[in-house]
Amino acid sequence: MILSDLIGSEVRDASGAVLGRVVDARFKLEGSGTPSQARLVGIIVSPRSATSFLGYERNAVTRPVLVARLLRWLHRGSFLVLWGDIARVGTDLVELRPRYERMPSELDANE
Amino acid sequence: MMKSPTVRAGRVFDAHLHLLDRQVLDRDDTPITTVDDLELSDVPFDTDLDGVEAPVIVSLLSGAVLGTRIFGGRPPSSRWHRIPWSALAELGTALKLDAAADDLEVSWPERWVREHIIGRIPGGRHDPE
Amino acid sequence: MKKLFAVALGVLTAIGGFVDIGDLVTNAVVGSRFGMSLAWVVVVGVVGICLFANMSGRVAAVSGRATFEIIRERLGPRAGLANLGASFFINLMTMAAEIGGIALVLQLVTGIGPMLWMPLAAFAVWIVVWRAKFSQLENAAGLLGLSLIVFAVAVVMLGPDWGELAHQAFVPTVPASEQPTTYWFYAVALFGAAMTPYEVFFFSSGAIEEGWTRKDLGQERVNVFVGFPLGGLLSLAIAASAAIVLLPQAIAVTTLSQVVLPVVQAGGTIAFCFLIVGMLAAFFGAALETTLSSGYTIAQYFGWSWGKFRRPAKAARFHLVMIVGLVLALAILLTGVDPIAVTEYSVVFSAVALPLTYIPILIISNDPDYMGAEVNGRAVNALGLIYLVVIVVAAVAAIPLMIVSGAGA
Repeated sequence: MILSDLIGSEVRDASGAVLGRVVDARFKLEGSGTPSQARLVGIIVSPRSATSFLGYERNAVTRPVLVARLLRWLHRGSFLVLWGDIARVGTDLVELRPRYERMPSELDANE
Repeated sequence: MMKSPTVRAGRVFDAHLHLLDRQVLDRDDTPITTVDDLELSDVPFDTDLDGVEAPVIVSLLSGAVLGTRIFGGRPPSSRWHRIPWSALAELGTALKLDAAADDLEVSWPERWVREHIIGRIPGGRHDPE
Repeated sequence: MKKLFAVALGVLTAIGGFVDIGDLVTNAVVGSRFGMSLAWVVVVGVVGICLFANMSGRVAAVSGRATFEIIRERLGPRAGLANLGASFFINLMTMAAEIGGIALVLQLVTGIGPMLWMPLAAFAVWIVVWRAKFSQLENAAGLLGLSLIVFAVAVVMLGPDWGELAHQAFVPTVPASEQPTTYWFYAVALFGAAMTPYEVFFFSSGAIEEGWTRKDLGQERVNVFVGFPLGGLLSLAIAASAAIVLLPQAIAVTTLSQVVLPVVQAGGTIAFCFLIVGMLAAFFGAALETTLSSGYTIAQYFGWSWGKFRRPAKAARFHLVMIVGLVLALAILLTGVDPIAVTEYSVVFSAVALPLTYIPILIISNDPDYMGAEVNGRAVNALGLIYLVVIVVAAVAAIPLMIVSGAGA
């Protein structure tokens, strides 16, 4: 599977309602290999915009203040869905499980 | 080689934000390519994912796959230029590999231009004076 | 002492390298038609290029990443590709203009037609790009370009009415013989000439060519904040010389001969010789810079190995792109198009492309992942945002103004 298959896909909940689009995929390094393996943790869903522009909504960059505010506003409501809450992956489609949890999408500053 | 803390277990990152469109460097800091896409391990398609393990990143992709991100469509997997994830040594504002440029399959266009064009012009193989 | 020499070299090179054919022609045209009433645009443009060149130089020195890598990384491949296309095209126009300029200067000196000199000039540019060390090429072109100071000397020798010049500059008005739309068209053109994107691509890639690190930031600041404004003064001198000699006689600037007229009138043959050397150096230097920029932008977008500090075999595609670029620029010139006309269009299109280049630089210079502790301070960000607005306004207004004013006819 290629990452582009996932990013941009429409995200729907179990009842078929459209929640937004996948704008990014979160990975965590695990294991003792060199380098450690990168395992998918979950997907970032944005209800408003298909393109994640400049990443302001998730990273530690807060300036220029006006630009940061504008972009965070544009991406308000984006959330993380863990792998376990994903029911199916299809063509341009990701379907979530009935009781999926919306996690905060911010990345810690030192990650 | 000591594993850089940037590629040790525990680190969390977002693929689009931290990997895509980043510069890939070899062990001598020579630029090789940009990351155009990522190859993930296979996931059952259009079926329930109950009990299926989350995929891992198999390789960094470059080359014709760039067209996929810009225009859509998909070149066949035989035409993808792959850099195996295991070659990664550091994950910072650029991605540094634990390999030399010429040893990688992905560097063949550069080597081709070197052999057939630039290397043939007088002075091409010398340092600038 | 050696340190002082290095600092002086940096500043002098920045001054001498500041003016290219775009600045020369646009300032001469503006001076001959509007006097000094557009001088404020040069000031605005110089402050702008200082701001952004410094930001991009800082980013390159601290993070080791050059401007076009960042443009692709921040804007994504699609917007990055659009940016690449626009930048490469404008760069190509500028390359053609500079090489055409070299040929025009040689025509001025020898009387032999410019088309004969064009292939020679293109080849000379290529040979230097192929073989010379980066610092040699920068220093030589920059120091010889200082000859353009003859414009400032000429202005003084012409004994102008300083009060009149100052009045035109500080109380700008549209002359009775001109339309307001033409005035604003030339404002945008002058702005584009001062802030041409290739200068930023070249400056940031040059920082990596020369291996700048945090330690060199002090020198870099001096080069930019002392060198560029002094270079801007040269632009003003060019406009002033045209305002003093050409404006009162309503002489239009259509070829290089009108541009050199004020200097010749002031200082005769000796001044003319200095001017020829200065123009050749400035245009040749700019031709080198735009050629290198065409290589830098494409190589950095695709992630290829690049740089004059590598032997050509180690940056093969980078050099191939530059060869192709020079061939294309030469082809454009050999169609018989007037290099002066190409120049005038290239500065306007430069103004249009500015936002695509500057937005990512402003963003990245605030990103601690790239900059560590060297992120922008509040004042720089405030100024940067103001300029972003100015740049976007200029970019949006450029084409409509060009159409309405008939490209300044």
